[in-house]
Amino acid sequence: MTVLAGMGFAAPWLLLGLAALPILWLLLRAIPPAPVRRMFPGVSLLLGLKDDETVSDRTPWWLLVLRMLAMGAVIIGLAGPVLNPAREQRGSGPLLIVLDASWAGATHWPDRIAAAEAQLTEAGRNSRPVAILRLSEPEAPVFLPADVWRGRLAGMRPEPWQPTRAQVDAALAALAAVEGGFDSHWLSDGLDYPGRDRIVAALRGRGALRVYQGATAVLGLAPVRFEDGALQLALRRSGQGPAREATVLAQGTDPGGNARVLASVPARFEAGADTASAALSLPAELRARIARFEVQGQRSAGAVTLADDGLRRREVALIAGRDDREGLELLSPLHYLQKALAPSADVLEGALTDLLPANPDVVVLADVATLSAVEETALSEWVENGGMLLRFAGPRLAASDISRAQEDPLMPVRLRSGGRSIGGAMSWGEPKTLAEFPENSPFHGLRIPDDVNVTAQVVAQPDPTLADRVIAALSDGTPLVTRKPLGQGQVVLFHVTANAEWSTLPLSGLFVEMLERLAVSSSAGAPDAGELDGTTWTPVQVLDGFGALRDAGTLPGVEGPALAQAPLGPDLRPGLYRSGDRRLARNVLSGDSVLSPARWPADIPVEGLGRRAELPLGGAFLGLALILLVLDVIAALALSGRLGIARQGAVSMLGALALLAAPAPGAAQQAQQAQLTRQGESEFAIAAAGELTLAHVLTGDARLDDIAQAGLRGLSDTLFFRTSVEPANPVGIDLETDELAFFPMLYWPVTPDQPTPSREAYARLNAYLRSGGLILFDTRDADITGFGAASPNGRKLQELAAPLDIPPLEPVPRDHVLTRTFYLLQTFPGRHSGREVWVEAAPPDAEQIEGMPFRNLNDGVTPVVIGGNDWAAAWATDRDGNPLLPVGRGLTGERQRELAFRFGVNLVMHVLTGNYKSDQVHVPALLERLGQ
Amino acid sequence: MSHSPTLHERSEAEAGRLPPLLARAEQLAGTVLLGEHGRRRAGLGDDFWQYRPAQPGDSRRMIDHRRSARGDQQFVREREWQIAQSVMLWVDQGASMRFASDKALPTKIDRARLLALAGAILLVRGGERVGLAGPALPPRRGNDQIARLAAAFCADDPADYAAPEHRAMVPHARAVFISDFLGPLDEVRMALTKAADRGVRGVLLQILDPAEEAFPFRGRTIFESVGHTLSHETMKAGDLRARYLDRLAARKADLKELCRVTGWQAGLHHTGEGAQSALLWLYRALDRGAR
Repeated sequence: MTVLAGMGFAAPWLLLGLAALPILWLLLRAIPPAPVRRMFPGVSLLLGLKDDETVSDRTPWWLLVLRMLAMGAVIIGLAGPVLNPAREQRGSGPLLIVLDASWAGATHWPDRIAAAEAQLTEAGRNSRPVAILRLSEPEAPVFLPADVWRGRLAGMRPEPWQPTRAQVDAALAALAAVEGGFDSHWLSDGLDYPGRDRIVAALRGRGALRVYQGATAVLGLAPVRFEDGALQLALRRSGQGPAREATVLAQGTDPGGNARVLASVPARFEAGADTASAALSLPAELRARIARFEVQGQRSAGAVTLADDGLRRREVALIAGRDDREGLELLSPLHYLQKALAPSADVLEGALTDLLPANPDVVVLADVATLSAVEETALSEWVENGGMLLRFAGPRLAASDISRAQEDPLMPVRLRSGGRSIGGAMSWGEPKTLAEFPENSPFHGLRIPDDVNVTAQVVAQPDPTLADRVIAALSDGTPLVTRKPLGQGQVVLFHVTANAEWSTLPLSGLFVEMLERLAVSSSAGAPDAGELDGTTWTPVQVLDGFGALRDAGTLPGVEGPALAQAPLGPDLRPGLYRSGDRRLARNVLSGDSVLSPARWPADIPVEGLGRRAELPLGGAFLGLALILLVLDVIAALALSGRLGIARQGAVSMLGALALLAAPAPGAAQQAQQAQLTRQGESEFAIAAAGELTLAHVLTGDARLDDIAQAGLRGLSDTLFFRTSVEPANPVGIDLETDELAFFPMLYWPVTPDQPTPSREAYARLNAYLRSGGLILFDTRDADITGFGAASPNGRKLQELAAPLDIPPLEPVPRDHVLTRTFYLLQTFPGRHSGREVWVEAAPPDAEQIEGMPFRNLNDGVTPVVIGGNDWAAAWATDRDGNPLLPVGRGLTGERQRELAFRFGVNLVMHVLTGNYKSDQVHVPALLERLGQ
Repeated sequence: MSHSPTLHERSEAEAGRLPPLLARAEQLAGTVLLGEHGRRRAGLGDDFWQYRPAQPGDSRRMIDHRRSARGDQQFVREREWQIAQSVMLWVDQGASMRFASDKALPTKIDRARLLALAGAILLVRGGERVGLAGPALPPRRGNDQIARLAAAFCADDPADYAAPEHRAMVPHARAVFISDFLGPLDEVRMALTKAADRGVRGVLLQILDPAEEAFPFRGRTIFESVGHTLSHETMKAGDLRARYLDRLAARKADLKELCRVTGWQAGLHHTGEGAQSALLWLYRALDRGAR
């Protein structure tokens, strides 16, 4: 396959056909289109007309371009183009595929397997024998046909360690044993490790070496420390790339026992930094549940840190028998215990019965001899359920009879009465030192300082079981620390006091180490080899290369120092180890590990792992050519007029075809308009609802609408001056489009030629009336006619109001609330003062109670007020407040205008307050004002 | 023997075409509110025209006693002069008329026959005598004449451009020539001068297809007449448009000039427009010509 400009061609010679396109251009240009035969009676007028130019009609340039494109697409399509063509790697002879196969490559392991498989395929195509060498588990390379290896490839797993020195040596030996030369492909994990350069040298000595390495950095998680009350997480990455964020998940079991993510914390690698850190502060209960930390999205053992005792702070309950607070602090039996435990454990103090329900890990009884029956029962139960009871001797214990005749359940041994003193003024001998710890002792391996000696102790009664229970003894063989299991728990007795009265042990570092070994306390941070000296650790669970925990099975135990220091390998797998009650995690990374990226000599080709799939484009090109040819046919037909559409139609059709994929601009425009409309609506609503606004119905008669607007403005001003109603500027509303609910009252002047509202508008008007709105209909013709259908306005009003939900009406009765909502009125003149004003009729059973001036009328606001007094004209004022239209004559007219304003005020008050003034509460005041 | 069913079938088909044409013509004629076709002068007729004082020489029978009894003066009742006119129709049946540029449009001949027949119906209702120009169907009155006219209109002429009929012109009659007048103008000129010589005046109604007015053609085209006798090839039809329109305008001007000289009236109708306006115009033109 030939590769041209990043695109492969199966038959590149066909591309020469592209050179023929210019010839095609000339040919296509010269050929005139076939003539169209047309019936045309007017041909008689055409006879004798000559064409201006005899040259043939030229094909339009865009049609030529279309055809050229089609031909070009055909030629390219037939040449078999392939995007991302697989580059052939010619080669012969044996091929060695080297895999690091360490945890660092586990996250992208499928990519490596795919790359290896691709190379196996390629090698199989070239009939090359292949061997695969895994550096983390080297075996002598065996050159086999590629198909054989392909079957085995699926079973290969990364190991949770980097190739160790021994493995590098083994790999070198295996390579040396291969005869003849071979080429090598190294699928690197991207991390450097000691001895890698030696393998590079060895491989280059045998043939060409090519390296495949992923581009992404390897992430690792260092062991978690507990400092400053928070879990300190430290992330490492190989290389110093750009800023990047990684999330660390803390996983554990919830109280229901289900594994889940208990917490997560992001950590940020700054640009150029290869470490990142984060702090995670959790309650102790939650912290104790954490089993492991892992970096989200990473699937390797290096991105996992297992939690061990180092993260668990044990709860230790300290109980002293002698509570002499007044004594010297240094003589307190608990002082040294507190000092020893405080850094690594949570110390609880209090009464035993109060502390036991808190379920401490350890209960320390310092010189406590007798326990009450309740305490003893509770303590026994607690120990049998896995608690650890640590007792210290003292004067009280020595003086008591506990565990004297027979063994107390809460004492490991029987005691002789009295105890003994060694090296005192009244005794024989020197103060005794400690003997070396026996092998079965948990203290085995601890170094015993020279200055530790014991001057007094309680002495164990010799028993058949005594020898098993002694875990520490004095140099003369008397037991110093004894222990016995009790149920799932244990009871440990130090035969000396917890303070420095009887021995110097509490003053030495050995005391702290012994407490640690007893899992009373746990050291913060990873233990060093010295601390683990002499211990043997059994693997409980081990990590595989992907970071998954697996049961350790029959893996052998590991010496303590090795666990702390030895590099990971097949003999020391990362995982959880256990020794007695202590659990220790060995993680892939240690606190000071650095992930250094692998650097390769400059002359070794390094390639990425990813490979894009081949994409044959021949079909697409041929399809494109087909589409272009169809377009050409349409265009040619349209041009010669045979399509039955005019040329512009053809062009617009071509345009439509071209725009098929583009979204219709009309829809977008509509959406935009709709959005604008919505915006306008909401602005209208905010303006109308923000303040009280009077409104009038737009009739379509500009002059009438102007007068209505001016009238409502005058009324609004009057209300503003005289009452506490302070309306905003009135608005004219279009019944078809505007929302009515914002307006307490509509003024509707009636004109014979105004449009009748639509059905929807009537529905909204009825809803408006039902919800308490009021419409003031004004036929404006009270000067010429009475009420009824006698005038055009009256007829129009009947037509307009017919679909409205209007109750029975009556002329305003003398005691209607409208007559007294603000002013006391009996007439309601506007510009005319001719006619009755009609409102909702009073209920037929409304009767006037004797002594009351008013009937108890309608309970609510009348939905309509109908009249013809042309109120708006009387109210109308210009912007300066001057009346626009004359009313009546002289002072009488002004009085009429005043009454008109009073009617408007009363009406708005009625709308706003309903039948408030109908309430009988106001009767006395009203009576007083009426002078009765 | 074998011809007779064919003949019969053709007759049926031809007969079947008549009623629709007649019906449409009747319908179209019904849209024109027909006033009495008076001559606007006193004369013989049925309708009252005016009373005039009796003059010496008026016979006593002519005195209208009902009017005269109201006063001392004697009046004569005059009737409007109503006289039947002879109207001769000529509809171009040539092949060039059988053309419509669009399926939605009627052919020119269809529109021409419709207008002619509807006009004939109106004329007959108005009491005029209607016939075909030429000796074939002399003017007569009555509905039978309408049927005869309809039958005569159904005969196609194979010639591309038919010449106007100018034989057997009734002197002082009216004439209606309906055609596209795209053929040789000399025939038309001869027919009109001859008619003018005999005192025949009338109406020229030119019927054109919208395509003939617009010439919306482009590209290499061979134009053919409907009868395939004439053809013209062009490489760029679009370039011919202006010159074609010039010639068309010249043709219209010629017709107008001819009419002005001979006292005829020229009209133009496009098949894209409604037939009714053309009918109205035709009717009014005939009316005007009578005055």
